Amino acid sequence: MEQLMEILMEINPDIDYKNEKELIDGKVLDSFSIVNLVSQISETFDIEISPKYLIPEYFNSVDAMWKMIQTILDEE
Amino acid sequence: MSLVSLKFLLFCSLLLICFFMAPKKYQWVVLLIFSLAFYALAGIKNIIYIVITSSSAWIGALWLEKVSKKAKQYIKDNKENLTIEKKNIIKSKSKKIKKIILTGILILNFGLLCVFKYANFAINQINTLMGMLNAKGTISSLSLIIPLGISFYTFQTMGYLIDVYWEKNEACKNPLKILLFTSFFPQITQGPISNYHQLSFELFASHSFNYHNFVYGSQRMIWGFFKKVAVADLLSSYVESVFSNYNDYTGITVLIGIFFYSIQIYADFSGYMDIVCGLCKIIGIKLTENFERPYFSKSIAEYWRRWHISLGNWFKTYIYYPIAVSKWNTTLGRKTSAKFGKHIGKNLPASIALIVVWLTTGLWHGANWGYIAWGGLNGLFIIFSMWMEPIYDFVKLKLKIKGQIWKYIQVIRTFILVTFIKVLPEVGGLKAGLGLWKRIFTEHTIPNSLKALLPFASKAPLIIIALGTSLMLIFSLIQRKKSVGNVFNKIPTVLRIFILALLISILIIAACCTDSGGGGFMYAQF
Repeated sequence: MEQLMEILMEINPDIDYKNEKELIDGKVLDSFSIVNLVSQISETFDIEISPKYLIPEYFNSVDAMWKMIQTILDEE
Repeated sequence: MSLVSLKFLLFCSLLLICFFMAPKKYQWVVLLIFSLAFYALAGIKNIIYIVITSSSAWIGALWLEKVSKKAKQYIKDNKENLTIEKKNIIKSKSKKIKKIILTGILILNFGLLCVFKYANFAINQINTLMGMLNAKGTISSLSLIIPLGISFYTFQTMGYLIDVYWEKNEACKNPLKILLFTSFFPQITQGPISNYHQLSFELFASHSFNYHNFVYGSQRMIWGFFKKVAVADLLSSYVESVFSNYNDYTGITVLIGIFFYSIQIYADFSGYMDIVCGLCKIIGIKLTENFERPYFSKSIAEYWRRWHISLGNWFKTYIYYPIAVSKWNTTLGRKTSAKFGKHIGKNLPASIALIVVWLTTGLWHGANWGYIAWGGLNGLFIIFSMWMEPIYDFVKLKLKIKGQIWKYIQVIRTFILVTFIKVLPEVGGLKAGLGLWKRIFTEHTIPNSLKALLPFASKAPLIIIALGTSLMLIFSLIQRKKSVGNVFNKIPTVLRIFILALLISILIIAACCTDSGGGGFMYAQF
């Protein structure tokens, strides 16, 4: 989780990730940030995030992203 | 059938009677019958193409699901006997089969779309090339009639198929339900391009008559008809006259023409959306919204998140993300990041994906170089502002630019840019589009009268256009914080009825002022 927080802080340090639950639906993160985020997560956790995961449900909060990472790791 | 016609109003009335009288379980069948009737009225022969798209998506989705389930079941049943390597082989074999099925169906459907939309464009390019090489003979053009809404229904249905491939959606078992999803008449001519998960939930649910929905929906339809007839159609005669003979007019008249065009296309397209969303609201179906006050955007990227939203979402989901987050692209991003710094590593993968998206978006809109240039320019502006972001931030910090004034400057700048780019394909090709630009920047005569400034425009239509545009502006300002429907329905009933009656009266007067008779929607050509 700490690694994920580090990635997010690097993308935009001004966002309150701990409390923000609508990162995508609330338009806090745009599609450019998502691409950057996916690239960093893939590298850090050595996983491949397929386009099927690129929906708000998996990126609206830190917890949702963490859950997605765990799901992909389990699948692999 | 034109949406702005008495025939369409009768069609809707008949639909409402049948829809609410039908047993709730079969309401979707009523929608299917009316959708097919609507499509058949536009040309019964073309129904074959929509059936091909729909049935190939239905079969393909079931097939993809079957392959997926079979592999998963096999792994589950033999969990203890299979090594990780063996499991991966089974998974990759299933993935390979699925990829072949998906590719085949995509080629079939996008192939059909390409033949209808781009075959003659390709033939013209080949003939031009042969002419340049002094080769003998030419290829004759094909006489093809583009099936109604093919660009919209192909994208929507293939979106469903890809979602099943990604296992985002389950495959629909009923072919008639997929046929309704493909042919749902309110969105067949100009979208919105919905996703299956969202629209199927609305289409196949039971709906009861609701007075509140009826009032909101009817009011929205009236507003849509008003925008279309009293603003878009009235502006179109002026715009067409100026665009078709732009060399006969002063630069300032052509400049007014392109801004009129910007208002016309918004009133036309969003008016259509108001009509179909209003109709769907009456029957209890929520359609995806396509506009979110686009002319108040602060950048071109933001504009495209607020204009034709459903098309933008389609390109984002099925083209932009798959390219931007693909293994080769993210690896490229990481390597360039290590070698040339984070800024380059971050922006390069997104830029590659954006170039593909914007050239495809241009082509989707039409087969001419003007549309390709239009798509390319939109993409270039977005990519340029992405790369220049640190410089903008630095300049803003140094010049201490902040607050509302900067936002207003951004909004005006974006509106001007979008207006200039928009006209590129609209006068019959890139050359003519660039001719409009040239006329604006090189012809500086100041017209000496209103008649010289606005030829073709008589007083009555100009007053109606000004009134309609002001109303659109006021509604957009209200929409910033509240729903226009909610605000309007808080007005006392008598006043509300008076306003609606006034809008309808102006709409009828405007219809009488339109030389061409109006009716056709601009986005239907795509």
